[in-house]
Amino acid sequence: MRVEKCYFCSTSVYPGHGSAFVRNDSKVFRFCTSKCHKNFKMKRNPRKVRWTKAFRKAAGKEMTIDSTIDFEKRRNVPVRYDRDLVQTTIQAMKRVGEIKRKREHAFWKNRMAASREKQRAHRKKALEAAKESSTKLVTPLESPESSKVREKIKVPAKSRSALIQGEGRSMTMDID
Amino acid sequence: MGRLRRSRAHHARRDVHRASRTRARTKDLDQIQLIDLDPKNRVKLEAQPIDYELPGLAQHYCVECSKYYETDNALQSHWRSKVHKRRVKQLKEPAYTIEESERAAGLGREGKRPTSSTIPVSGDVAM
Repeated sequence: MRVEKCYFCSTSVYPGHGSAFVRNDSKVFRFCTSKCHKNFKMKRNPRKVRWTKAFRKAAGKEMTIDSTIDFEKRRNVPVRYDRDLVQTTIQAMKRVGEIKRKREHAFWKNRMAASREKQRAHRKKALEAAKESSTKLVTPLESPESSKVREKIKVPAKSRSALIQGEGRSMTMDID
Repeated sequence: MGRLRRSRAHHARRDVHRASRTRARTKDLDQIQLIDLDPKNRVKLEAQPIDYELPGLAQHYCVECSKYYETDNALQSHWRSKVHKRRVKQLKEPAYTIEESERAAGLGREGKRPTSSTIPVSGDVAM
């Protein structure tokens, strides 16, 4: 059993999953999903598509140079089964995985620390630019006209009695 | 298919699906870069024997774009075109291969040198 890697996004392709394309020079391209296959058919470069592993590695978003990465390999010569070897290998895999996880976390933290300063500077710049460009509030000028107090227009209040006819709320019968 | 759909979908190109069939598949960039652009192969491709099946009897071939032209004039004007220049620019950067996809997944090749000079044993790996 061999776990293959997707040509486009580099995820694991387990037996019985995904699809493969064999080019006429007998190179086998494996795909995890139809999404990856379609992107391949469109002749896209995975290094330029942001969601692929290849992009993340090429753009420095993920750890590329590290000794823990070199352990996993495609081995074309089969190894004779050995109980002790399997045991030690499994132990080593766990240990290496643990170290790798920690290093990746440290790498991520380092990257975020660098980007945070950039982000802060960018935000500050944007804020200042917005402040300058936005419409300024001007205090109203003191003028003699503005000091005038508006006089209220007196409206004669209607008596709202039900006994008085009009506006459809009378209790009496209307006679046309 | 309505008029608007025809003109708006697929850059108004006819037969997009037919052109994308495996039968009509053109050479990939890595094939051109790693094999065809090699001077030995290039000479062979540029001086092909007469083939009645191919456009222009296979006498006017652009190696970068892997395309046959009818006349020398057409080939010359193609070399001056934007399509060709764009292709040349694409071929300048290293091609994406299956090996690279595996390397991105953290899968190396046995027999090749590891990326770092020292190979630490799993016991004494420094954190």
